[in-house]
Amino acid sequence: MYHLNGLRWTLGIFTALFLVFLYGPFVVMTILSFQQGPEGGPQFPIIEWSTFWYQHVLSIAEPSRVAPLPIGEALIRSLTLAFATMVVSTLLGTLSAQAFRQNFKGSGVVFYLIVLGMMVPGVLLGLGMALVADQFDIARTWWGTAFVLHVVYTFPFSFLVMLAIFNRFDKSLEEASWMLGVDPVKTFRKITFPMIFPGVLSSMLFAFTLSYDEFPRTLFTGGSEATMPIAIYGTFAVEIHPNLFAFGVLTTLASFALLTIYGVLMALSVRRAKIQSSGLQEEIA
Amino acid sequence: MTDINVSNPTEIKSGTQGSSLKAKIDKGRYFLLAPGVLWMVLFLIIPLAMMVYVSFWTQTTFAVNSTLTTKSWVTFFSSETYMNALFRTGRLWLTVLALTFIIGYPVALYVGQLIRSETLRTILLVTCVIPFWTSFLIRVLAWRPMLGKEGAVNIVLQKLGIINTPIEVLLFTEVSVVIGLVQIYVVFMVGPIAFMLGRIDHNLIEAARDLGASTWTIFRKIIFPLSLPGVAVGAIFVSVMVLGEFATPAALSGRKVNLLGNIIVTQVGSLKWAFAAVVGVVLTVVMALVITALLRVVNLRKEL
Amino acid sequence: MMELRGLEKSYEGNPAIQNLSLSVMDNEYLTLLGPSGSGKSTLLRLIAGLEQPDDGSIQLEGEDLDGRPAYMRNLGFVQQKYALFPHMSVFDNVAFGLRYRQEDPLQDASEVHDRVSRILELVGLLGYEERMVGQLSGGQKQRVSLARTLVCEPKICLLDEPLGALDANLRERMAIELRRIRAALKVTFLHVTGNETEALAMGDRVVVLDKGRICQVAAPEEVFSAPTSIDVAKFLNAYNLFPGRGELDGFAYSGHLLPIKCDARQAHFYGIRYDHIRIITGNDDGAGFKAKFLASEFEGARIKYLFERPDGGVFEAEMHLGEGDPITLTPNEFYEVSWDPKEVLLFDTSGELLKSNARGEVAK
Repeated sequence: MYHLNGLRWTLGIFTALFLVFLYGPFVVMTILSFQQGPEGGPQFPIIEWSTFWYQHVLSIAEPSRVAPLPIGEALIRSLTLAFATMVVSTLLGTLSAQAFRQNFKGSGVVFYLIVLGMMVPGVLLGLGMALVADQFDIARTWWGTAFVLHVVYTFPFSFLVMLAIFNRFDKSLEEASWMLGVDPVKTFRKITFPMIFPGVLSSMLFAFTLSYDEFPRTLFTGGSEATMPIAIYGTFAVEIHPNLFAFGVLTTLASFALLTIYGVLMALSVRRAKIQSSGLQEEIA
Repeated sequence: MTDINVSNPTEIKSGTQGSSLKAKIDKGRYFLLAPGVLWMVLFLIIPLAMMVYVSFWTQTTFAVNSTLTTKSWVTFFSSETYMNALFRTGRLWLTVLALTFIIGYPVALYVGQLIRSETLRTILLVTCVIPFWTSFLIRVLAWRPMLGKEGAVNIVLQKLGIINTPIEVLLFTEVSVVIGLVQIYVVFMVGPIAFMLGRIDHNLIEAARDLGASTWTIFRKIIFPLSLPGVAVGAIFVSVMVLGEFATPAALSGRKVNLLGNIIVTQVGSLKWAFAAVVGVVLTVVMALVITALLRVVNLRKEL
Repeated sequence: MMELRGLEKSYEGNPAIQNLSLSVMDNEYLTLLGPSGSGKSTLLRLIAGLEQPDDGSIQLEGEDLDGRPAYMRNLGFVQQKYALFPHMSVFDNVAFGLRYRQEDPLQDASEVHDRVSRILELVGLLGYEERMVGQLSGGQKQRVSLARTLVCEPKICLLDEPLGALDANLRERMAIELRRIRAALKVTFLHVTGNETEALAMGDRVVVLDKGRICQVAAPEEVFSAPTSIDVAKFLNAYNLFPGRGELDGFAYSGHLLPIKCDARQAHFYGIRYDHIRIITGNDDGAGFKAKFLASEFEGARIKYLFERPDGGVFEAEMHLGEGDPITLTPNEFYEVSWDPKEVLLFDTSGELLKSNARGEVAK
């Protein structure tokens, strides 16, 4: 492996540059979010460091000519929508993946029908749904037409995650449970579900994230009440201000905090299990 | 007590009962599948079919009616604006696809093959995913202060003495759109490739090395072919997203670069449903061709 | 107790079980012996209800099991790799069936505790209740799996290669344990194995299965001394088998005339068990032939001598050390081997044992 060191270094440096490329805009955004306000614009140089735009986002800044971001309600809508999408798509994904555990006639067609949901560009699906709504006089709402499209988009992800989980699941455990006289429904609750739970969690995480940030599908089908991404898109048309950057930093930090809590909880439960088992071993010895 | 291999013709009827249990199992499967399939047919297939149908409707200034015509299609193919948008979309898609591959593959190679520590690998992958926790639209907007005439890139390059006058073509051009798209979607290329590379059995590479194969040969004959399914999956992701894009070009080109997606948005905005549908169908056909070609390289079902 | 009649099962046109009928008796230890691919696991899964037969019927205590799902059959199934629930302790694993089964689940915690304790004591795992499954050795896992099944008092306990995943030393101990536990509970065991020694040592009766069909059902001694077909004889790994032609006065094989005791004109195969071979070191009348000695293998209680057959194959002789001291032979030397014609088995063209030449009848 000696002669690989040169390659290792080259690729390592390349990867570092890649991360700079990936994070550059985010760093710049963070810096500019501390721009002086309300006159300072979303560009260099920094006139003066301030937290004005953060106060502006949280609606505690002095009123100025810059209109506050239309968040608040949009955020609640987005969270509700993401939650509903998460539940429905994980449920559909688990059911379908369960059906796929044994090969059956037509499985290929059904597989690609489901996967198509993540392959069709959002703008097409949004357009199609808008046409249907327009023709059949269906009201376009974020909780109706947009919601069903969100599920069309996230259900394939949930399905693939659960399929991968089931592929690694030892079927003989379920058979063992049946042979002990336990019916399939209870077997699923007591054996299958606890064991596929990590998969269910990641499917939920996927669906929530995708739906929360979904934009092209919602644009045509969301109706007049905007979700978060639509509200941000609305500010595109007019002049942008550093309050958007401050908002971006805040939301990133918030989701980061959530992720950290989740990680810490997982680590804690793993450690607790370890302590429990090691304690037992001593006891028996 | 034991009779061996004695067939008993009177017992044959019981076979039908056995298959009835099989039928029950099949029925159970349909119950499991029905909600998902129904959902996809209602909210995926029907809207797409509707789009094809509406593309043949008659477009008047403010409305459509269901008289069938190919007028919108003729308009599309005879309009220079639309055809330009089609070619621009194709050009941009190929450029972004090539760049995400060129930039993404070495990174995936480093993460998937050259890092031995599982922890470090996880940390690097998580680092790649973190930007996704910022809203997509805000990430796009963040490129503006990066690329502008007084943007971060120009400032840094001038400070380093690489250039004297700021580069002006960076923002509100096709270049800025390409840069933005590559940054946003490159991770979708890195992920699948790194996953496939990480699955390669190291003994295989050791064995090849023992047989005297050079690093380049090992890469060409073993590593690259085994990573191809990952490349295909990554390419599918990137293609799907870039071909359907409209927000990034809108934000980073000052509405100068119009892709098919942008045209759809504009047409819908002015209630030109039939035109929008025509563009949609064209985009669908392009998508279908690209995905079908890529699916020849990879069998999605087998890779799970 | 259980009757299988005319069972058929095929996978995508490849038959796995063909027209199989069998009676299983109350309170017996039945071993099912077959090579891999013989359909023995399929048969077990058909009985368990985990697979559905294409045809035929299974009756348990006179009741047809057809259409009754696995969880309603009241049969126990001990899987090859134990299939213990990894997220539960030993106690919860064993109590699982009692607590959650559809018919007559036990609500009373103290009764669950009593029954689990009793069965854990029987399998020798008392005191291991709180351990997690991951902390057990292979043999312990096997016992938990057994206890988990037996605590539900199944009518028949199906065991799929229960000793297959254990190492040799543990296997012998576990074999004894299995017989003891079965005897204590008086429950019928149906034990599937690919190992002929295991099948013969453990079963009250042995079922030999090949290519989805039953070749022989008999007590172990009978299977061993009188395999009903050449396939069974081959599978027992205890017979020298020679192809050839039966004549009036002997069996023609590769230029030799092997001794027989009766008319053998229908015979196409000639079999003689390893442990019936005598190796002649001095002078003898020579009922067999001369063979080149290749090597010997010491196997603890016995020694195997390997010779080259006239047609190039290997010819084996076996000597139990209880019956005499081992003899020392020189490799590549030729020795006379012989045997008592009374012990010879003859098979016809289709490989069936010729009844008229079976042992005992020959002697008359």
